[in-house]
Amino acid sequence: MNFAFTDEQLALAATVRDVLRAHCPPGALRSERRPGWEQLAALGFFGLLLPPESDGLGLGLADVVPALEETGRACLPGPVVETAVAAASLVAGVAKLASGAVCVSVLLPGQVYAPDADLADLIVVAGADGLRLVTKESARLTPRPGVDPCRPLFEVAFDPAGCERLGGPVEPALRRATVATAAQLIGVARELLAVSVAYARVRTQFGAAIGSFQAVKHQLADVAVAVEFAAPLVFRAALAVDGGIATVERDVSAAKAAAGEAATLAARVALQVHGAVGYTEELDLRFWLARAWSLSAAYGTTAAHRDRVRAAVLGGDVRRYP
Amino acid sequence: MDLDFSPAEREFRAEVRDWLGTHAPGPLPSMDSPEGFAAHRAWEARLADARLSVVSWPEEYGGRGASLIDWLIFEEEYWAAGAPARVTQNGIFLLAPCLMRFGTPEQRERWLPRMARGDDVWAQAWSEPEAGSDLAALTSRAEPVPGGWRLSGHKTWSSRAAYATHGFGLFRTSGTRHKGLTYFMFPLDDVAVRPIAQLDGLPGFAELHFDGVFADESMVLGEIGEGWRIAMATTSSERGLTLRSPGRFLATADRLVALARTAADPALADRAVRCWVDAEAYRLHTFGTARKIMAGEEVGAAASMGKVFWSELDLRMHALAMELLGERAGATPWLDGFLFSLAGPIYAGTNEIQRNIIAERVLGLPR
Repeated sequence: MNFAFTDEQLALAATVRDVLRAHCPPGALRSERRPGWEQLAALGFFGLLLPPESDGLGLGLADVVPALEETGRACLPGPVVETAVAAASLVAGVAKLASGAVCVSVLLPGQVYAPDADLADLIVVAGADGLRLVTKESARLTPRPGVDPCRPLFEVAFDPAGCERLGGPVEPALRRATVATAAQLIGVARELLAVSVAYARVRTQFGAAIGSFQAVKHQLADVAVAVEFAAPLVFRAALAVDGGIATVERDVSAAKAAAGEAATLAARVALQVHGAVGYTEELDLRFWLARAWSLSAAYGTTAAHRDRVRAAVLGGDVRRYP
Repeated sequence: MDLDFSPAEREFRAEVRDWLGTHAPGPLPSMDSPEGFAAHRAWEARLADARLSVVSWPEEYGGRGASLIDWLIFEEEYWAAGAPARVTQNGIFLLAPCLMRFGTPEQRERWLPRMARGDDVWAQAWSEPEAGSDLAALTSRAEPVPGGWRLSGHKTWSSRAAYATHGFGLFRTSGTRHKGLTYFMFPLDDVAVRPIAQLDGLPGFAELHFDGVFADESMVLGEIGEGWRIAMATTSSERGLTLRSPGRFLATADRLVALARTAADPALADRAVRCWVDAEAYRLHTFGTARKIMAGEEVGAAASMGKVFWSELDLRMHALAMELLGERAGATPWLDGFLFSLAGPIYAGTNEIQRNIIAERVLGLPR
């Protein structure tokens, strides 16, 4: 029993964090679609979960959870979870995936639209007759309005006759993408809390920093508690996925719901603490607010995951892992 | 990172489960009644005979030298078995960690083995009428006299003091506020004890009047004037995992889900499942905290996050059970549990104070 990340796992996250600080600063969110991707690719980020025969490192999901948190903390745009996590389960054999040269989006059961599909070289689409690998050339994309300016959504149409059919079940990819998204939500929530605390320390009203008022303190403390107790559920879900634990479906849903709720609480409080300036397009905060909302809805809404947990637990599955 | 119990840990769990399955008594009368206090004390002696009363303590004091993970396993099994609340809890969870860390070898030898068996039952004496959340405002004093000290003043909300044999608390030996407080232990024989009935009508706490009560030098814990630091080490463990390990909340959550399965209103069932998941979150978080403590890290102010989380979870669970049961609640153990859970956000530092601590000392917001 050692429920703490190893030095290697934390070092990977620190490297990702440094790269994104340098190459995905908040300003880049306004001007670039995939800031920092080239540098992440150079680190081998897109091959972390791929097996060695696909030029990957063959790591488990739990190994990369802290690194995925960092992509959320940086509000990294682009189909990160789809390319680095889902693709590794769905299309590991695609050449050059590990190098980051191939960008992937997915439209799996539970998703309504494919995120960042306009950037994708390949889109994996689940249909009534199984999974199809849709190339950029054969996809007809229709943009759909979304909440997140850095995570545009698309409807995908294609001619099935011209698209390769993929074998294998979709559930492993879906579970991984869901946990990876939950990890990003934890990162988003941590950043929202950090910027709100920083603002509350310097913003002065009535002659005092607003962070000295208990009404402000207690809201921020509640965010800290929510994040603190959502994160272990996400860590456990990653271990359950890696270990093929019997309760994995329930544990993945518990993690996604908790992370989504923590992030939306963090967003709500962040906006309240910032006040009117937070309610503007010009403050970078808007990107993290939008990311909390968009990822909470991605790979199953909080309500959908709560439903799944409720059905499992009320149905008698009160087994504990560990 | 992993979540795997070792073969030895699984074996220990099986032993505890087996022993409790055979020996755990049914519900006892409340420990805050004379007959219940005696029954709970007798149960502590049986636990001690099996070396299960204080598994994480060193063997010389009645424990097994078990790891923190083993202790968490013990707690899970203990509460799952529906075993009695611990009448010794103020001593074994609050005073003992301070004795181990700050006490002399003689003090440890004298007090810990008796505490482990329930031979002595300790009451805590923190609060005073004008010093609750603001504990440093306390005014009880200790005056030096030949061979020791004379204690005078007025303590209140002293848990277990109605029937306990001993107490521990802070007394001013000099200075103001946090400086000049000293940690004393004292027998309750010479203290005027006025039991106070709680919401359940039973005297779960008491007022203590000290009118020059003599305490010899051996009853001082740690250095003179260092009481605040020592007490904070205690309250940190009280807020953190020692007093309220996940086991008790896991057991409550399981019982709540069983109760909610038959709920006509799906919204109530949904709330029960949320509580169940939150109890799991507390358990997982505690495994992480245990890892930190075992690696020699201090938990510090972060313990306040746990205190807010478990106390409000416990209250949510019991309040939901009251809603589910309606007028039938009074005929079940949920009523007592509900009343007890209402105290959680108050004792060990109110949750308002905990949120201030989180904001100031974890997040770094200005005072």
